[in-house]
Amino acid sequence: MDRKRIFAVLLAVSLALMLLTVYLAMFYAPLPVMSVKTADGLLTSLEGEDITVAGFAWNVTARMLPSIPEAPPPQLFTLLLFDFSDFERYSNAAQAGELDQPWWTVQPLLVHIKAGGQVGGYITDPIMNGTNLSVTAKIWAPGAYLDENPDQYLLVARGAGSVEVAESSSAFSLVTAPVAQKIFYFHMPSAWVSYLGFFVTLVFSAMYLKSRKPKFDVIAYSAAELGVLFATLALLSGPIWAKEEWGVYWRWNDTKLVTTFILWLVYIGYLMLRAAITEPTTRARVSAVYGILGFVTVPMSLLSSRIAPLLQSGHPVVIATKGGSLSPEAGMTIGFAVIAFTFLFITMLIKRVEVAECEENVEELKRSIGGEE
Amino acid sequence: MANPWTALYLAYSIVWLGVFVYLIYIHMRQRVVERDIRTLKEELHKHAK
Repeated sequence: MDRKRIFAVLLAVSLALMLLTVYLAMFYAPLPVMSVKTADGLLTSLEGEDITVAGFAWNVTARMLPSIPEAPPPQLFTLLLFDFSDFERYSNAAQAGELDQPWWTVQPLLVHIKAGGQVGGYITDPIMNGTNLSVTAKIWAPGAYLDENPDQYLLVARGAGSVEVAESSSAFSLVTAPVAQKIFYFHMPSAWVSYLGFFVTLVFSAMYLKSRKPKFDVIAYSAAELGVLFATLALLSGPIWAKEEWGVYWRWNDTKLVTTFILWLVYIGYLMLRAAITEPTTRARVSAVYGILGFVTVPMSLLSSRIAPLLQSGHPVVIATKGGSLSPEAGMTIGFAVIAFTFLFITMLIKRVEVAECEENVEELKRSIGGEE
Repeated sequence: MANPWTALYLAYSIVWLGVFVYLIYIHMRQRVVERDIRTLKEELHKHAK
């Protein structure tokens, strides 16, 4: 079998694996019930920060509390707070009779509002079903200190009046975008393959510096180009998920995002450097050194979300050391996706190296012909 | 996005599109190299004559 046919077979297998990944992601992997944020410890990393949930009240009950002399009559309101952003889905589901589905963008929060009495704060308008409310509260994770239930989170309100929101992890899902979470099955393998590409660049750059064989330089360059491709795909697919989950495409204060962007810039620099140097030996030597030094950005990007909350990152950690885990189906799907992407990477690398070698040979031939003339 | 499935399809499309665009790019580079080799061969042939 000639080279072209081998590549065609490898490519067909790679694309078939990719298609199977799509199938598994869409139809086999379940929608997550638990919030990504709860699972990955984001709430812990954001502990002490204020969040605001704006929505409308439902199932409102109000009761008078024992009054205190010379203070406004205290009242306790208990209600479910539905997030505005979820209203469309909520109303659609209500019409379809599917209100029991546990995957709202923001699950209803049980809110207790104490007003009047000693706590101060007046509620001038009555709270009724449909009343618009905005709850600003601090995130508090007592489980993290008590070592009892790390998934237990509270929202503790500040300011006048007293608003307390307390839920266990099963009900406390601040922003859950379960459908968009399936982006993860393509996003994470893309990122993984880009790291793999840069690792190959590191290894072959070192091998080039040791042996000065042009083949190693070609492999290092080809792997870096593929690494940049997959890093670009990860950087493009991630923000689409972030928009659904966080409400914004990008957060410049997130270490994972910023370090990955730096990594991408560094390797774009690698490609630009190669394009700028025309003399082959100098180009190979300089880019090999750059390829080795540039690799320092890979562990920076890879580990940045693992050392949160020391460094602030809301990026999910896929294989967590504690708390949160993937369901077996999701685990199998992501495992399969990683294999499919790795296979595709190897196939593309083989082809890229072959083309790059031909290009190098042609350039050399052109130079020698030019030299003779 | 109004529909979460739109976001999912958009992200998947970006990844697939990226892969295919790169494959086409490699294919085009290969064709350029093959054309260069043909030209060089012809030149060498002429040179030999």
